[in-house]
Amino acid sequence: MFKRTWSPYFAGALSGVVVILSVWIVDKYFGASTSFVRAAGMLESLVAPERVAQLEYFQRVTPQIDWQWMFVIGILAGSFIAAITSGSFKLQWVPDMWQKRFGFSPFKRGITAFFGGVLVMFGARMADG
Amino acid sequence: MEIIIIGLITGFLFGFLLQKARVVRYDKQVGALRLLDMTIIKFMFSAILVSMVGVYFLYDLGQVDLSIKSTVLGANIVGGLIFGLGWGMLGYCPGTALGAMGEGRMDALWGILGMLAGASLFAEAFPFLRDTVYEWGDFGEITLASALNINHWPVIVVFIIAGLLLFVWFERRGL
Repeated sequence: MFKRTWSPYFAGALSGVVVILSVWIVDKYFGASTSFVRAAGMLESLVAPERVAQLEYFQRVTPQIDWQWMFVIGILAGSFIAAITSGSFKLQWVPDMWQKRFGFSPFKRGITAFFGGVLVMFGARMADG
Repeated sequence: MEIIIIGLITGFLFGFLLQKARVVRYDKQVGALRLLDMTIIKFMFSAILVSMVGVYFLYDLGQVDLSIKSTVLGANIVGGLIFGLGWGMLGYCPGTALGAMGEGRMDALWGILGMLAGASLFAEAFPFLRDTVYEWGDFGEITLASALNINHWPVIVVFIIAGLLLFVWFERRGL
């Protein structure tokens, strides 16, 4: 039970139950990308607080820790515990599929991941996902 | 304070389930984009179908509110295309990047730094976007049921049938 991979149908359905309880008990729907805006605003406040105060978007999405911010941290913790207890934790800088296609290239992987991340977040916020 | 703790617990449960089904890793995410491995689609659709029924049931009982995002064709389509391009490069989405790091996939860290940079960039670009892509095709807070002017349950039933047929097809094809 704890060592094995769970069926994606079973784990997905259980996640659905967690969504229902979350909406019912605390009126919170799942999301992650807004938390990156809050985190970016908090980091920017350290170096350029006047710029953060100027930007309209940081007034709509205020740079502070909220339910969703902790939800995102919780994903990190939950995944870590699940991985450790099932022996599937694996420290790795280059994913297997990447390595098969492009070889062991941690620098190239890092650059691609970084710029992919920029686009992912810009697009996710624009589409309000 | 309490709400923040609940957020942490909820995220913990979700992250635990994501990792158990092995959906947080690059190979699964890019595997889905390459139409080789539908694990994440199975997970996602199962979660959607179950929560759809539960949330609308509670909604009918007056127990919960819906959170309907605006349909703005310009922002949704342009944003979706940019997101898709980035997803293919990064191989993680915002939530799963944290989950991937949790199971030791450290390349997700570069993606998380990139996403923070992308969030800053978006805040800078927002005034321009507000006057352009957010102006194109704004339909407001609509749902399929409200656009068709019907009750939500027929739509839910169609989604469940379509989802189950998709699952059967995936299993037959070994995806």
